[in-house]
Amino acid sequence: MTNNDDIITVSGLNVSYGESKVLFDVSMNVRPGQVVACVGRNGAGKTTLLKSIAGFLKPTSGAISSGTTNLIGMVAYVIAGLGIKYIPQDKKVFSDLTVRENLELGSYATKDYNWDQVTDYFPKLKQLMDHKAGYLSGGERQMLMIGRAILGSPKLLLVDEPTEGLAPSIVMHLKDVFRELSKKMALVIVEQNLPLVCAIANKVYALKEGRIMGELTDRESIRPEMCEKYL
Amino acid sequence: MIDMQLLISGVIFGLSMGSIFFLMTIGLSLCFGLMRIISLDQLLYYSIGAYITYSVSLALGDIWLGVLGGVIVGGLAALAVERVVFRRIYERDITFTMIISFGILIGGVGVIKYFWGLVPRPVPVPITAQIDILGTEIPVYRLIVIVIALLVYVGIWLFLNRTIIGKAIRAGIEDIEHVEGLGINVYRLFTITFVIAGGLSGLAGGLHAPLIMVDPNMGLEVLAFAFMVVIIGGLGSIKGTLISAFLVGQVISIGSLIYAPLAQMAPFAIMLLILLVKPTGLYGSPLLKR
Amino acid sequence: MNVLRWWWGLLLAFALLALLRVFLPLPFANEIIIFSIYVIGCNFLLGRVGFISFGQPAYLAVGAYGAAFYLYYFGTNAYVGILIGIAAGIIVSLAVGPLFVRLRSDYFALVNLALAVIIYYLMQKVLADITHGDNGLWFLTNLSSTPVLDISRPDQFFIFAFLVGFAVWAFYKYIDDSIFGACCLATKINEDKLRFLGYSSFNIRLLAFVIANTTTALAGAMYAVYLGFVSPEITSPARVADPVVVTILGGVGSLYGPIVGSIAYTGMKDLLSKTFGNWELIIGFLLVFIMLAGEKGIWGTLEPLLKKAFLRARATGDAADRGGSSR
Repeated sequence: MTNNDDIITVSGLNVSYGESKVLFDVSMNVRPGQVVACVGRNGAGKTTLLKSIAGFLKPTSGAISSGTTNLIGMVAYVIAGLGIKYIPQDKKVFSDLTVRENLELGSYATKDYNWDQVTDYFPKLKQLMDHKAGYLSGGERQMLMIGRAILGSPKLLLVDEPTEGLAPSIVMHLKDVFRELSKKMALVIVEQNLPLVCAIANKVYALKEGRIMGELTDRESIRPEMCEKYL
Repeated sequence: MIDMQLLISGVIFGLSMGSIFFLMTIGLSLCFGLMRIISLDQLLYYSIGAYITYSVSLALGDIWLGVLGGVIVGGLAALAVERVVFRRIYERDITFTMIISFGILIGGVGVIKYFWGLVPRPVPVPITAQIDILGTEIPVYRLIVIVIALLVYVGIWLFLNRTIIGKAIRAGIEDIEHVEGLGINVYRLFTITFVIAGGLSGLAGGLHAPLIMVDPNMGLEVLAFAFMVVIIGGLGSIKGTLISAFLVGQVISIGSLIYAPLAQMAPFAIMLLILLVKPTGLYGSPLLKR
Repeated sequence: MNVLRWWWGLLLAFALLALLRVFLPLPFANEIIIFSIYVIGCNFLLGRVGFISFGQPAYLAVGAYGAAFYLYYFGTNAYVGILIGIAAGIIVSLAVGPLFVRLRSDYFALVNLALAVIIYYLMQKVLADITHGDNGLWFLTNLSSTPVLDISRPDQFFIFAFLVGFAVWAFYKYIDDSIFGACCLATKINEDKLRFLGYSSFNIRLLAFVIANTTTALAGAMYAVYLGFVSPEITSPARVADPVVVTILGGVGSLYGPIVGSIAYTGMKDLLSKTFGNWELIIGFLLVFIMLAGEKGIWGTLEPLLKKAFLRARATGDAADRGGSSR
């Protein structure tokens, strides 16, 4: 089953916060070029799954690997250095720093100073370069967070609820951006907005109470109603 | 009515004392901001800085070289402590790291006693000249201490705002997880911050040495004042630390002109008042992450 | 059944203390008991409420000076002196408590330390006319002999301290088992949930703060009576470490921790300061070591071992019993 060219292979993953167990025996994999969606209600363990892959949480048992590299026990910045970037849902940019400085930090981490790729996706950031990031709107913050993460051409983006609380026009824009990004890198998107993910995903995992309840892999079956069945 | 000359020399005295406080506590404040630790062991690097200044100036006859040595040894001691102890415990809660750092401080005092003994040591003032300001004789050395502290403030400001490492530190003070998520080695940031803090504490000790007697408990004696400065300024704020350091320096200095016995206590009373109004200090961050 | 068991533990501990008295010099035994009363407040704050206080000497000084003022200027009865020390402790902790317990635990530690320094300077300089500054107040000869137990004499003082110590322990044991004790623990672990249950975490913390610091003041008053002398040295910045160190050394959160810690600390101090002389070196690095080794302290390490030994002894005993009855 496990192919060495998988970007991420998760098998038998168990994660707990102290006494309370959050993920039960979760297995999934992401192939190159795939857009994988994780759907589920609040508290289903989606964020926990992403954070475990990104190295911010230590699983109690199970395996996570990227290709032939074992990711268990690696600290988060090393995993990010391997090109597996996590974009949290809190939409927190470094508000005391300017947009330019926020991007500089992304470049510093990856040694990739080609900002055109960022401004091509998000032309709006160009005018905002010298603004403090704290003054940006929610949508602009999300753009900045995606922008500073795609520097260094990562092989996988772990995106946590990117459209939560954003205006419909921005959501449409982000959808296009994710489509474009998927040509260059794999994506794992955690989302409550089922129509959106179904439009761009080619694999869907449905999580409920810390377990994977269903997996949709063919284009025909990836529809909001089908996802809804598992939730 | 307070004599004008006394007042001027009192203000200068307070500013120089505030400068020492600032250098001593800026490390404490930065470490709290970035790593969420209360690094009481900074007071140890302060004592080490003073003792190195004493020993080097005794051996080589140059006090400035001694201060430089104090900065270097303070930074190196901080590096060693960070590598051996703190690196393992960053994710623990703040009480835990505070007790550990306190243990290091106490143990370090023991190390100092082992090397230098119990007897207080004098360090001569490098510049004995006096300068006339508005008819008041002011020791030049105190002015130099003030200038050095202001230069350090500007230096830190430039470091944090103009260098990429500094920007990463500022970002980390806001949210360390996001910095790590970008792929930046946050542990290196921690080490850099800790060593800078240790070096500055060493500088504070070195500059303070000619103004006091160097003795093994000097770190413990200023501990409460250091705390007070960071509490009034707010843990994690550099600007707040500067303002509160000068405030405390002035209160002690001017206070002793008015009624000497109260001078040491007055800042503590101010601290209690400020905490009553604003429990996180003047510029403190309310968040407590990690 | 449980009640019986802990009473046995407590009785056993104090029986051992009484036994120690036979082997140890009197000053040492007195020191241990007073010190463990001193530390139990700090232990309670850290273990139950999650507050670390670097300022316990402040309350020790409050109790000590409360007793000393009375005994130096007004009266001669040591019992009254101790009661006044306790009252002073209650008054001071009620005065500063509402301000302090609102603070985050890190600020709490720092503010308490500041209070210790304030009191140090207050006693050393500001009130020097009354306290005689660094010379301190000497009133040993003022003490009149008291009825029943004459606590102006060291040997009878030991019996008194022993009884007080036992009462304090019983009191803390009672608190630990009460709803209040559970609430204290809850303020440490999850403050919000406690609020939902309808308890005010402020009131609980304040009460815990007052209880702990009054205990410390009691220890201070006992020091004053026992030594017949009080000086600002009691709250000097160099001594703020003591209670925290002993708390950690003995084991946080356990009732036996303070006793074990006090014995170990006083003993080490006695032995080491005679032979080695460099007290800070050992205590500092010991503190770091204990914390890094799992912050269990001496009692925390011993307890599971003792329990295991006890259970094994009982198991073999039971087995022997069964063997006997089946035959």
